[in-house]
Amino acid sequence: MADENFISIDRISKHFGDVRAVDDVSFDIKRGEFFSLLGPSGCGKTTLMRMIAGFEEATDGDVIIDGQYMGDTPPYRRPVNMVFQNYAIFPHLTVHQNLAFGLRKDRLGKQELNRRVEEALDMIKLSGYGSRSANQLSGGQRQRVALARALIKKPKVLLLDEPLGALDKKLRGQMQLELRALQKSLGITFIFVTHDQEEAMTMSDRIAVMNDGKALEVGPPSELYERPRTLFVADFLGWMNFFDGRVVNREGDTVIVDTEQVGRVKVKVEGNSFEQGNPVVVAIRPENIAVSSTELEGNVNTIKGKVDTAAFLGDRSHIFVNVHDGRNAVLTQMQNLGGAASRASSSAENIWLSWSEEAAILLAPSSA
Amino acid sequence: MSTARRARKLPLLGVYTCIYLLVLYIPVLFLPLFSFNDSIYIAFPLKGFTLQWYQEMFTNSAMLRALENSVKLGVAVGIVSTLLGIMAAKAFTAYRVRYAGAIQGFIAIPLVIPFIILGLSLLVIFSQLGVPLSLFTIGISHVVICVPFSMLVLISRLEGFDSGLTEAAQDLGETPWMTFWLVTFPLALPGIIASFLLCFLISFDEFLLAFFLAGQESTLPVYIWTQLRFPARLPGVLALGSLILLGSVILVLIAEWFRRRGLAPTNKKVDTPFQ
Repeated sequence: MADENFISIDRISKHFGDVRAVDDVSFDIKRGEFFSLLGPSGCGKTTLMRMIAGFEEATDGDVIIDGQYMGDTPPYRRPVNMVFQNYAIFPHLTVHQNLAFGLRKDRLGKQELNRRVEEALDMIKLSGYGSRSANQLSGGQRQRVALARALIKKPKVLLLDEPLGALDKKLRGQMQLELRALQKSLGITFIFVTHDQEEAMTMSDRIAVMNDGKALEVGPPSELYERPRTLFVADFLGWMNFFDGRVVNREGDTVIVDTEQVGRVKVKVEGNSFEQGNPVVVAIRPENIAVSSTELEGNVNTIKGKVDTAAFLGDRSHIFVNVHDGRNAVLTQMQNLGGAASRASSSAENIWLSWSEEAAILLAPSSA
Repeated sequence: MSTARRARKLPLLGVYTCIYLLVLYIPVLFLPLFSFNDSIYIAFPLKGFTLQWYQEMFTNSAMLRALENSVKLGVAVGIVSTLLGIMAAKAFTAYRVRYAGAIQGFIAIPLVIPFIILGLSLLVIFSQLGVPLSLFTIGISHVVICVPFSMLVLISRLEGFDSGLTEAAQDLGETPWMTFWLVTFPLALPGIIASFLLCFLISFDEFLLAFFLAGQESTLPVYIWTQLRFPARLPGVLALGSLILLGSVILVLIAEWFRRRGLAPTNKKVDTPFQ
């Protein structure tokens, strides 16, 4: 079977009464990929994952794993295992028994079974914890046990339902790296559900961004971040300035847009969409806007403004700049090198913002 | 809210508590006291120590027969009530039942109906239907009053049962049937045992319904009541009563132990070196 479409989600839908939790979603997942389903709560990502696991029956469409149509296959016969959001560690069993639970069916000899369990405990760095009761574990440890319990089955696909949500920020960052390293060394396909865009971008090979039951865009994190094709994805990932406007002219690949907020801007586009007169949204990331105290030569888009507020974020500051006589604010950011933060927030003088034709992207306004 | 607030000293509260406990338990303690008294009359002063009444008890075949009936009845009632209780509790906790509150209340009504009314109405029904009175009819009436207890005990046990646990078991390759035996049943077991013991005791102890609905065979409480007319039999009844008292206390302690063991908190944070 081709590795490119190791898992195919084929025109799948799930309706709960009138609610379309998942609405005609299709995409392929490669073998060995770390794939994330990302979206706000209620976007259908968990329902989609539960359909892959077999806990929800699809109203329409198919899940195909390694060439096999899953159809009515019950959860206990699917080549997938899951790490549940609240871990679902069996409270009446020890850590060892929890890990061995999935191996019951394999009828291994006692020695082989113990070896596999020890191996798994080793993998999650909990050697010697086998005889502990599940109730004696901390949150992070429970999370590891849930992970090992699912992986010990050597599934074709591992599903993870917001497994890091309950951990504190520091531990979460550490677990993200560990999960990613584990996935690379095992080579198992991971499908990771999260609402945290930073988490998805840190770990994933590719991300499907979902909203209102639809998969809006699928792609590598950098592509989704730098070249989003929809307003929702542009807004959901990271910070973004949006300027509403209308195409006034087009010279080859360069489109001139008259915006409400920052006047006329030039944007380089690919393809032939965006004709003269089209309503559009110009989107530009704060880090793509250069700040200077004098007017810079070279960048085609330049605008004068005054610093309104600066939000100190540690390594960098977000700076809101009032342009057009204070009627509109533009978000930009600067690195805080050598005490730059204190200088930036205090200056009330005129500054210039500028960016290149390639720095901004054009998006169609939301159809709603 | 701070729970560590220091309790204020209330000296009178201690005195009240002592009096309360004495009033509660001293009458009960007369039972074993007189069961060892060498006299058929229940009166002070005590005449001397004897085990005669206990010895006689084991030769009293009618009494042993009644005891056997009560035990058989209690076990049967315990099993049937607990099975019905499991089904009701599972329905109310695992599924969205329409009018759940009303149905639950309806099942629990026998708790507040006076047993004498319940006994009379069941007697009327059985005689109208031509069902001969026997241990079986007593059993039915006991199930009616035990199911509410069983249901309530098991609901409190199954409530908050993480549906993720059964899904995890299926995800790990177990069929729904095996999932029930490997996950749901062991987790509910303390509640099931507590329910069984509770129902057994209620049935074992119950007099009014057993009195109304008894056929040829009587249960122990009914037998004891019939013996009260004969003063010579009274010390024997006291001896039996003492043993039952002891047995009941042991059973209740066991039931409570199981209930508590089952209530082990699942989200308790325990400090561990690995963090």
